[in-house]
Amino acid sequence: MLRFIARRVLMAVPTLFIMAVSVFALIRFIPGDPAALMLGDMADPAGLSDLRERLGLNHSLPVQFAIWFGNIFQGDLGHSITSSQPVLPLILDRFWISAKIVLIAVLFATLVAVPAGMIAAWRQNSLLDLVLVGAATILLSVPTFWLGLLLLILFGLKLEWLPIVGYVSFSEDPLAALLYIVMPIATLFLHEMGVLIRMSRASTLEVLRLDYITHARAKGLSEGAVLMRHAFKNAFGPTWTLIGLVLGNLLGGIAVVETVFTIPGLGRLLVDSIFARDYPVIQGCLLFIAFVYVVVNIVVDLLYPVFDPRVTAE
Amino acid sequence: MKVKARTLLAGCLTGALMGVALPAQAQQAPLRISLNADIRSTNPGVNRDDNTDAVVLHVVEGLVAYGEDSSIKPLLAQSVSVSKDGLAYTFKLRNGVKFHNGTPLTAEDVAWSWKRYTDPKTEWRCLSEFDGRGRSKVQAVETPDAQTVVFRLDKPDALFLATLARTDCGMTGVIHKDSVKADGSWDRPIGTGPFKLEEWRRGEFVKLSKFDDYANPAEGKIDGYAGSKRPLVNEVRFVVVPDSAAAKAALLRGDIDVVPDLANADVKEIKANSSVGLSIAQNMGLSTLLIQTRDPLLSNVKIRQAIAAALDTPQITAAVTEGLAKHNNSIVPLSSSYHTAAHDKGYTYDPEAAQRLLKEAGYKGEPIVILTNKRYPQTFASSVLIQAMLQAVGINATLEVLEWGTQLDRYNKGNYQVMAFPYSARLDPSLSYDSVMGPKDKQPRKVWDNPEAQALLEKSMMVSDRAERQKIFDELHARFLKEVPFVMLYNGIEASAFRKNVQGYTASVLSKPRAWEVRIAN
Repeated sequence: MLRFIARRVLMAVPTLFIMAVSVFALIRFIPGDPAALMLGDMADPAGLSDLRERLGLNHSLPVQFAIWFGNIFQGDLGHSITSSQPVLPLILDRFWISAKIVLIAVLFATLVAVPAGMIAAWRQNSLLDLVLVGAATILLSVPTFWLGLLLLILFGLKLEWLPIVGYVSFSEDPLAALLYIVMPIATLFLHEMGVLIRMSRASTLEVLRLDYITHARAKGLSEGAVLMRHAFKNAFGPTWTLIGLVLGNLLGGIAVVETVFTIPGLGRLLVDSIFARDYPVIQGCLLFIAFVYVVVNIVVDLLYPVFDPRVTAE
Repeated sequence: MKVKARTLLAGCLTGALMGVALPAQAQQAPLRISLNADIRSTNPGVNRDDNTDAVVLHVVEGLVAYGEDSSIKPLLAQSVSVSKDGLAYTFKLRNGVKFHNGTPLTAEDVAWSWKRYTDPKTEWRCLSEFDGRGRSKVQAVETPDAQTVVFRLDKPDALFLATLARTDCGMTGVIHKDSVKADGSWDRPIGTGPFKLEEWRRGEFVKLSKFDDYANPAEGKIDGYAGSKRPLVNEVRFVVVPDSAAAKAALLRGDIDVVPDLANADVKEIKANSSVGLSIAQNMGLSTLLIQTRDPLLSNVKIRQAIAAALDTPQITAAVTEGLAKHNNSIVPLSSSYHTAAHDKGYTYDPEAAQRLLKEAGYKGEPIVILTNKRYPQTFASSVLIQAMLQAVGINATLEVLEWGTQLDRYNKGNYQVMAFPYSARLDPSLSYDSVMGPKDKQPRKVWDNPEAQALLEKSMMVSDRAERQKIFDELHARFLKEVPFVMLYNGIEASAFRKNVQGYTASVLSKPRAWEVRIAN
């Protein structure tokens, strides 16, 4: 077990290094200059060169990279060009906000989608199956920003049940906080549910065709027991992997949902920074997202044996 | 497991239902104004953008400020006098002005603030305007008594006051010494403005509160950043709402009281809604079609004239601003007092003349690429129309849409043939001309490079006589129409929408929301 973890962590190191180099290089391939963007069309040459000097943009690229990379090892991701805040606390602050929404949404999506997918597979080609698969396909095809805007219009504007803009943290007022994040959570929940239902249905279908299920039924077990005791464990594996991927994906990228619902999360921080060419923040965010992705996948792999004893962590 | 999940779900639903009533319980509602992005800092004129200026200028004030007609008016100063040689500016301070911490404003505070701004460590954006790299240098600031400040320049500068008052310079706002920490680093603005800074929650909102001891500079009407500036609400909250559709929905719902920058396309819908009001102002930004005069093809003046003749600018303007703006082919903005009848003269829309000019120029269908962006919807919309109109006279025009940062980079390097480009507002005609004129060898971003015209522009910055300046601007305009270094289309529109119970809110020619002289009726 420990050897497995150690190996996985070591394997992540080159991934993160390659990530760091490519993030640094790619961002600088995009035309645009953070100093010029800060000054806009009002830039005069003297002011522009002052600002470039101050931001350390006058150094050559290898020197900039060496400074940045050296600082990472001391746990310093640099300072934001636009807000001058240190990058790591900035990312962590924003990350908790996004993570809360993503984790709750994915938890609920899993709780609903896995049984729904199994039931659809169990009653394959019935009306129920058709309805579930149809709903799932629609949900996963609808872009999240559009779904979000529809929810805003319905619950915010027409019914006036939920506030439209703003954000309150849980520590401040748990009830109000809940009100503000219900819609973003619902948006993600609906979308991810569509993805997970399809996966759960497909993997259950495969398992239900196997001989041991026929054997279980022949033994005279009830359908419930067949599904829960025999089919579920084997069918859940692929879905569990997908949940890992979905989590890794969402934890780094719900910028669209955050923008629509004015949630100050990590995704919006990243998008704003890209528009402002805030290099240290973009680099920090992408590196952090890669790190989260790696961690989530290690955790998912470690938990795999819990659901499928045939898989071991050795 | 099942039971747990059900309990959890039920708990959430109950919570949600109970919480529905919460917003209604709020007491004495603040005035909530939306901002399309968070502010960058609270440090005036240092780390800033338009939103930052808009918020910070509620808290700090300068000696002079722009009025609604872009003329310079005293703000913290009672009066300003200029010596005959134009080298000394004497400011008499208003009596009874206090900082937010209760201490009275004195000439010493002005001198201290100036010293801080001109310290390179402060990183003031406008330092290069005053330290000799710009038109003039401030050689000394003297305080003969507690209510008098004298600025001494090395040469006459007609734009000295206009530069001091610039919003992007933080209005050279006078702040109290306690605004900075003991080590000299920035803490928070303690100014003299109508509102005090209470809290800035990054990415969420900026909260200001009423300054009870505010000394109103003038009774009567609101006038740009001068005029009457009474704080009439107890709290102002600038709320960050990056998505414009969400901002509109929040306004209609009543979660936001003012949306200062409504998209032109939404104006019609908002007008039809009885719960919200609308205020529209034409700002001083320039919406342009820039032409690279060093491009082998476009260096030919006849082709540039053909482009101007092919464009129906009144129609483009009406289409992209939903009929809200009037076209303007002069670099001097419509709302400027220098925009006289001479500046109403523009290009003549004449497709046949355009075709004739193209033929004379020997144009053989070489491609012309128009760069544009989608950050500014009007800019994009106008480029589409421009492309169609150019194609109609036989110009092989194609569109290339760039992300804004990339377009700005191409602009700064002069690396384009033609681009639709919006300039932010300059409040003096000399500054408007200066934003587009200059030597391309030294500054590739400059668009109009003509030494004779440049000499005229520099003269306009030295002379203070109004009639003489007007004559210079008139001549520059005549040359501009003839040479067509680029095409001027219109000045932008500022459409602000507000809830009907918000009283006194007006859109400003300065393109920024103002919370003073605004009240919320019950």
